[in-house]
Amino acid sequence: MATQETGENPIKSEGDIVTCRKLIRNAATAAGFGMTDVTRIVTAVSELARNVYVHSGSDGVMRWQTLYQAGQVGMRLEFEDFGKGIPDIAQALEAGFTTAGSMGMGLSGVKRLMDIMDIKTEINVGTTVLIEKWGRAK
Amino acid sequence: MNHAHTNSKYISNFNSWAEQKRFVNFTDQDAEFLKILHPFATQYADTFVEKLYEHLLQFPDTKRFFSDEKVLSRLKLAQKAYFMDLTSGEYGEEYFQSRIKVGISHQRVGLPPRIYMSTYCYYMQLMIPQIYGNPAFDVETANGIFSALHKIINLDQELAISAYIHATDEVISRQTEEILEMSTPVIQIWEGVVAAPIIGMLDSSRTQQFMERLLETIVATNSPVALIDITGVPQIDTATAQHLIDTINAVKLLGSQVIITGVRPVIAQTLVHLGIDLSGIITRPTMASGLKVALDKLSIKVIDTSKG
Repeated sequence: MATQETGENPIKSEGDIVTCRKLIRNAATAAGFGMTDVTRIVTAVSELARNVYVHSGSDGVMRWQTLYQAGQVGMRLEFEDFGKGIPDIAQALEAGFTTAGSMGMGLSGVKRLMDIMDIKTEINVGTTVLIEKWGRAK
Repeated sequence: MNHAHTNSKYISNFNSWAEQKRFVNFTDQDAEFLKILHPFATQYADTFVEKLYEHLLQFPDTKRFFSDEKVLSRLKLAQKAYFMDLTSGEYGEEYFQSRIKVGISHQRVGLPPRIYMSTYCYYMQLMIPQIYGNPAFDVETANGIFSALHKIINLDQELAISAYIHATDEVISRQTEEILEMSTPVIQIWEGVVAAPIIGMLDSSRTQQFMERLLETIVATNSPVALIDITGVPQIDTATAQHLIDTINAVKLLGSQVIITGVRPVIAQTLVHLGIDLSGIITRPTMASGLKVALDKLSIKVIDTSKG
């Protein structure tokens, strides 16, 4: 069992999205993910960090963890905000649905990029999105 | 030192200095205590400065700042005045301005904050016996002086560190602007073809700048084709894709056409996963193949003359 790497980064400004991407790019590469998976993970991070910054109306935080299990390496990430919440998760997951004039592909895209996505949300309390990606360990 | 004066306005203003004094609970009483110490500090000043520099010159790190003998003797004088000011009993605007100047000049010569801070620590080590070993002070007075000295040093440090941080912030914001300028060049690579290599992520502020430049160059060079190269973009999320599509639409309005080049396999895969539809846009894996498409569109043929 290799040591687990963990960390967190606040999401309060557009600059923090950049920091989140950079942190996770380094962490995922160090964990042994291949180029394609690293790009998938970092793209998902970019989407979710931007969701926190643009849509939640509050500050948030990204927490991450690398996991090793049965020859597999995993990356688990959690994006938590204390904002508006999502009124209808099923609708938010529909491709093309947007409340912000953006593409509306973000959440549905993240779901396809990652192996696991779990959303917990409560109106005016906040939203936590948990994602995981698994690959063969080096 | 007009410049230093202008600078000081940004770092901290006199109001916040008054506020900071209240924050550390620096009162008139403290000023009085420091005044009591003043004649003793004055008496001790020369010894103190000698001891301080003896200490500082032990370390190669600090020694290199004092290599010039003339500079050194000037610094010793300045240091003496500085520490005598510390117990002058006057902590108004003049004191505030002089402290800010000190902070700025330390930052300018590149003295690391840790050396600046440690000097105070050493100063306290030398002063504590002067306070508590002085038969003129009873314990209560000694405690009062010690506490007052601690407060004024904290205030001095706060001003100096603000000067350091302010200078660093200025460097960062200047660099950010420079990077923004540098990272989105638009160049004419052929009669009728402009190319714009994007390096790094396309965020909203960069998109705005990039779009302006691209559109301006297209008009100025009267180019029917623009190549946007994304080889240097590490990943494309939906926001970046949206920025790209907006840019492409703006170019279309000018009657020109965009070819996206440098689409790497990983980017292609992620775009598909994200469900982003770029089917209406010409894309090519490399800038070279993109240029070929552009030249075809302009009915330009490039001939390899070596093959006759």
